[in-house]
Amino acid sequence: MDQTSLSHTSLLPLVNQLFDLEKKLNKLENGQKAQRNLRRMRESLEDLGLFFHDPLGERYDETRTDCEASIAGEYSENLVITEVLKPIIHLKEGPSVQLLQLGLVIVAAKQSK
Amino acid sequence: MINFGIDLGTTNSAIAKFEKGQVVIFRNPIGQKDTLPSVVAFRQNRIVVGDKAREYLAKAPKRVIGSFKRKMGTNETYQVEGVQGAISPADLSAYVLKELKNFVHTGEKVESAVITIPASFDTVQSNATRKAGEYAGFESVKLLQEPIAASLAYANQDEADKFEEGQWLVYDLGGGTFDVALIKIHDGEMQVLDHEGDNFLGGTDFDQAIVEQLLIPHLEEKGKFEDLLNQMRSASGKYNGLYHKLLLLAEDAKVQLSTQPDAEIEFETEDDEGNELEILFTIKRAEFEAILAPYLEKTLEMMRNIVQRNSLNPEQLKFVLMVGGSTYIPYVREQVAQQLNIEVNTRIDPTTAVAVGAAFYAGTQSTKRSAPAVEIPMGDTQFQGIQVKVAYQKATQELTEYFTAKFEGKTEGLFYRITRGDGGFDTGLKPLQEQIEEDLPLVKDTFNTFSLRVLDEQNNSLPLDVPAIGITQGRYSVVGQPLPNDICLEVDDVENLTTVLEVVFEKNTVLPVRKTITKQITRTIAKGSNEHLTISIVEGPGTALPAANQTIGFIRISGTELERDLIAGSDVEITLEMSESRDLSIQAYLMMTDQEYENAFSPSERAVNVPRLAEELYALADKIRKEIEEAEMQDNYETAQKLVDLEYEILDIADKCKRLKEDDVTDTKFQLEDQKRKIARKVDEITRDKYLIRVKQEYFKVKREMEDVLEYYTPGEEDQKLFTKMMNEEKSTLSTNSTLKIQELINRVRRLSFRIKWNNSNFIRNFFMQLRNGWYGTFTSPAKAQDLIRQGDQAIEVGNDARLRQVINALLALLPPAARNQINSGGTGIG
Repeated sequence: MDQTSLSHTSLLPLVNQLFDLEKKLNKLENGQKAQRNLRRMRESLEDLGLFFHDPLGERYDETRTDCEASIAGEYSENLVITEVLKPIIHLKEGPSVQLLQLGLVIVAAKQSK
Repeated sequence: MINFGIDLGTTNSAIAKFEKGQVVIFRNPIGQKDTLPSVVAFRQNRIVVGDKAREYLAKAPKRVIGSFKRKMGTNETYQVEGVQGAISPADLSAYVLKELKNFVHTGEKVESAVITIPASFDTVQSNATRKAGEYAGFESVKLLQEPIAASLAYANQDEADKFEEGQWLVYDLGGGTFDVALIKIHDGEMQVLDHEGDNFLGGTDFDQAIVEQLLIPHLEEKGKFEDLLNQMRSASGKYNGLYHKLLLLAEDAKVQLSTQPDAEIEFETEDDEGNELEILFTIKRAEFEAILAPYLEKTLEMMRNIVQRNSLNPEQLKFVLMVGGSTYIPYVREQVAQQLNIEVNTRIDPTTAVAVGAAFYAGTQSTKRSAPAVEIPMGDTQFQGIQVKVAYQKATQELTEYFTAKFEGKTEGLFYRITRGDGGFDTGLKPLQEQIEEDLPLVKDTFNTFSLRVLDEQNNSLPLDVPAIGITQGRYSVVGQPLPNDICLEVDDVENLTTVLEVVFEKNTVLPVRKTITKQITRTIAKGSNEHLTISIVEGPGTALPAANQTIGFIRISGTELERDLIAGSDVEITLEMSESRDLSIQAYLMMTDQEYENAFSPSERAVNVPRLAEELYALADKIRKEIEEAEMQDNYETAQKLVDLEYEILDIADKCKRLKEDDVTDTKFQLEDQKRKIARKVDEITRDKYLIRVKQEYFKVKREMEDVLEYYTPGEEDQKLFTKMMNEEKSTLSTNSTLKIQELINRVRRLSFRIKWNNSNFIRNFFMQLRNGWYGTFTSPAKAQDLIRQGDQAIEVGNDARLRQVINALLALLPPAARNQINSGGTGIG
């Protein structure tokens, strides 16, 4: 397919579905069987310049403008991302990097060990 | 001219500019949204305005302030921990206005603006808004009522009805507030005659209602919960996280329901007893509308009040102009229309209409400086003496990089802000000190750029000579070494019965690298046979002969290892991975047989397979022999003699190789391999130009044929564009001097040519006749073919081209593989 005929934005729903699929299959016992297909789909998107990232477990504060967050639970200054509804999607074309989709996340106080 | 128009909203704000008769909305460089939430957060050592501040609004109320517009003009102030003195609503509005200046990417200074105010604002409130504009550094501020601004946005549209007299309603239902106003135009001048509103009614209430009235009862049916609603709504509640998630999902569903009859909400949770629940809940539009009805009724009542109070009949109103994001909901539009039985006007973008109208108004206003309400002792010249030195590591493997900058000069009263080029990081406004420090988060495997700006109190950037901050993360790091040569996969060139190279990793790519490519098997390999598939990876110029380069890894799969026949045309997925220390790993996955092979190679274990080397040597000898014959035919005896010398050398090496055992442990095989490569390079040097000229000639021939096709057949617009694009690539492709790349372009042009012809009735008819007459071989199933030919004849008779194409495809499938795949006795088996 001619790559330039595709709009990257129009592929975002596909990326989000793939992200969900990855999450679901990772939970399944036999999910490993589909890993190759998932990886290939991810790499095909990467060939088009679309890279998605799951920020689960990462530190969160107001400087992170790559995510839209809802703060759950009691307020804390020490927040982590506890759930990711949509991944962060970047478009990389040569040296240029563009944020195509903000991550949609739930954050909560980091649990002390 | 003032030009800039600002919608300083209770929930969201926006900025637009009038220029050359058009209005441009400036987007937030962080997140690219048209609007900015009107929320200010005072976080430890920084001030954050907008989306990030709103996230903290519900959980850190002491330091995060929103909806302050409702308190404009009152003496109510906010005390914020860690911030000296009281903060007034005008101060907070000024922060929002200053942040909006940041949206203006054109570099021009925002010195004057029209700022909108609700129709309900009295003089004190209006003056407070003007004061906020002055705090934000505007030299001139004009105020405009929001319903008038929205009406101007509509009236200035090209397709709007032009009228000098009349009345209409503006119905503004946003995220958190509702307003309705009656507007009158008389002699071309607009005026707000009446208005009503509710500061606590909007789209977020609808999201909450979906969760509480639909999702929670459903959850209670599916699982065992006690006091679920409170456990969700309370910050310390067990299900507070789920509540926030459901609010987001509900918002998404609400948006979907504007265009679809139903929307799905899918989530997982555990009940009080630890049972896992997988919920897939479908909301029908009717259910959503039932929830919406009581909220909507409140707005309709206010609208009716205005109509009654002003003794209006519906026919006296031209339309109801819909403003605010919640008016996208079809039910809202329907109900408003039904109530008054007049046209609902949805011809403006409801989220930006107020800012757009303000910008139109601004475009007609001249600048007049207003006296500043407070002394603001700031100005560019005062700070021109500031010098800055920055320090950071330009490349790192870490996901954050420590950054520090030292400033010389007066820093008091100034702020700084660092943002990442992609918009994914923003420090917010922080007070400038002599030395600042930040941990900058980086996007993985990417060259990250950051901008450091120093700003005065009005958020104006000060002229400062700061070099661009660029940090490479991951693979661009200095730790990663660039590849000194191309890394290539050897593939079959079926047409010329030889092999060529396909570059997988280009020279100078920084390690580590990984890539998966899918290739097709070029010839069928039967299960149990001695035929084999070879995946050969070589290092060296991609333009050279395969044998001229060094083999750095390969996998050979024999027919005896196969679990079933590997049919020509099936896919093999090849993954190559090279570490920073140049370890190469190859994985091959045969799609058809579901078999996986893996091999890892490292520089310390140079991989030379003796039988493969012998094969390569004889193949090279054959190639040299053919080249000699060709050179002699063209009376090029000098070249022929050089090649004859090389032929002797290669046969000598082949002879030595033949005597080697497969498991020979000496260095001999490596020496022979080296010698082979040297000879191949010499052959390559002698003959390369000839091949290049040939492939270039071939390209121009195909291009001419294509031009004929374009002239003879009628290509669609898309095909025409595709051809233009290919022609744009012509120069750069030909200049690579890579026969493979030129060949690729030839193939693309050929494919396009075929596609254009395939869409042509005459072409497919002729093609069908050729198949029918056996030009491409005998069909494997004559009976089936006969039936298809009969169907093809019928399709031609009735002029059904689509059916004829299906018949042709079916006939092609009945041709023997030999007719479809040229028999290739050598090579790698992949192409």
